[in-house]
Amino acid sequence: MQDNRNIYTPIRARLTDVIEESPSIKTFVVVPEDKFSFKTGQFIELSVDGVGEAPFTPSSSPLITEKLEVTVMKTGYVTEYMHMLKPGVLMGIRGPYGRGYPVEAFFGKEVLILGGGCGLAPIRSLLYTLESIKDKLVKVILCYGSKTPADCIYKPLFDRLNSIEKFEAYRTVDKADEDWDGSVGVATTLLNKIKINIKNSVAVVCGPPIMMKFGTIRLLEMGYKDDQIYLSMEKNMSCGLGKCGHCMMGEFFVCRDGPVFTYDEIKHNPEIWK
Amino acid sequence: MKITIEDLKNVRFFDDYTDDQLKIFIGISSIKEFKVKDVLFEQYDELKEIYILLSGCLSLGISIAKEKRIRLGTLEDGQLFSWSAVFSPYISTAWVMATCPTKVLAIDAKKLTHEFEKNCEFGFKTMSKIAQTISHRLSDTRFQLMNQLTL
Ligand SMILES: Cc1cc2nc3c(=O)[nH]c(=O)nc-3n(C[C@H](O)[C@H](O)[C@H](O)COP(=O)(O)OP(=O)(O)OC[C@H]3O[C@@H](n4cnc5c(N)ncnc54)[C@H](O)[C@@H]3O)c2cc1C
Ligand code: FES
Repeated sequence: MQDNRNIYTPIRARLTDVIEESPSIKTFVVVPEDKFSFKTGQFIELSVDGVGEAPFTPSSSPLITEKLEVTVMKTGYVTEYMHMLKPGVLMGIRGPYGRGYPVEAFFGKEVLILGGGCGLAPIRSLLYTLESIKDKLVKVILCYGSKTPADCIYKPLFDRLNSIEKFEAYRTVDKADEDWDGSVGVATTLLNKIKINIKNSVAVVCGPPIMMKFGTIRLLEMGYKDDQIYLSMEKNMSCGLGKCGHCMMGEFFVCRDGPVFTYDEIKHNPEIWK
Repeated sequence: MKITIEDLKNVRFFDDYTDDQLKIFIGISSIKEFKVKDVLFEQYDELKEIYILLSGCLSLGISIAKEKRIRLGTLEDGQLFSWSAVFSPYISTAWVMATCPTKVLAIDAKKLTHEFEKNCEFGFKTMSKIAQTISHRLSDTRFQLMNQLTL
């Protein structure tokens, strides 16, 4: 039977919880009314009736399908409105879209994850996935930087990861306060701390464009090859379906061909860090 | 405290040195220990030693006025610092303070540069590592500055 549903029509999803992660970041827990599943690193379009929609990468485990968590940083019109929502309202979800992390390519390897700011949202979903296949991995190292201790999201995640065999998690802040006794400096400074066999490793970078740029350069300096580095690209999007052209980066539609690319695939694109 | 080749092999900075090259370091180094709040050196101090953090915790920063310290970062085990000791005018660009009991390897800078002149391969390898440390510090500072500008 042919499915005549309009591709832009979202599935209804009930907002059941809102978790405050930092002064500007909240996690929204939504329960879709229809079946919904995604692969780690893929994104969805989340909408608020009468306001609009925006692309987000779920931060929850893809193995849990009855609910979905989306961590949203307040940046503009739609996200500001979302931050005012209370549990109980109906939202919309379309997707999932794009190409996520090729986790099968990580089998037998050490996985280094470099994250910054709200970039920890997609990374958290990836970490849940890697935890579920940890027997197939050598180790997983997370290096995460936030601007201040208050901006660090998912604080309990770090202790939890450090208690899991094969996992190591480190965090740093650009600017410390009186109570902070951990590392100080940008996310890349944590790379001085870790021991990794680069030849048998892949690196994943996700965060603000500045961090993606400096992080990638440092990884290349460390000896990573272009095709060992995975970048999760965020470009302005509209349809999410490879139709409108809003997200074009060179020959790629980021929404359809990405958002996860190897550095090798996109390194020649002048738009890469913009 | 006596330093052995095995001790140095456990320190990341010395990863790709030969035993003979490690012996050179042993001949011109000593281990120094610091307590919490000990200042290893102040910004603008004249430096005579290059340090490598062996264990503990060190903060690094700049001062904008007397007693007003701005912490810019922390150092990790195996990291080299106080590189100004091998470049004229040998003046430190930052202060470094211990924030927990700390052990460092202190390398006599004059003797080290003398060794560079005697042994070019050793000199090139070590200067490359020092240059990389400075390059990383510069790139991290740029990254930090851009983050602050967008705060
Ligand atoms: C694949 C993908 C996954 C994403 N995942 C997350 C996530 O998990 N959590 C999260 O908080 N954000 C995520 N984003 C960014 C999020 O989509 C934007 O913050 C959101 O669209 C802003 O909408 P707005 O109406 O609130 O802002 P607007 O009012 O439209 O714009 C406010 C500011 O945000 C910038 N902006 C708008 N859209 C984007 C965009 N797509 N990417 C980057 N900057 C943008 C604008 O240039 C402007 O400076 C993701 C973006 C993409 C493309
Ligand atoms: S968002 Fe429309 S083509 Fe990618």
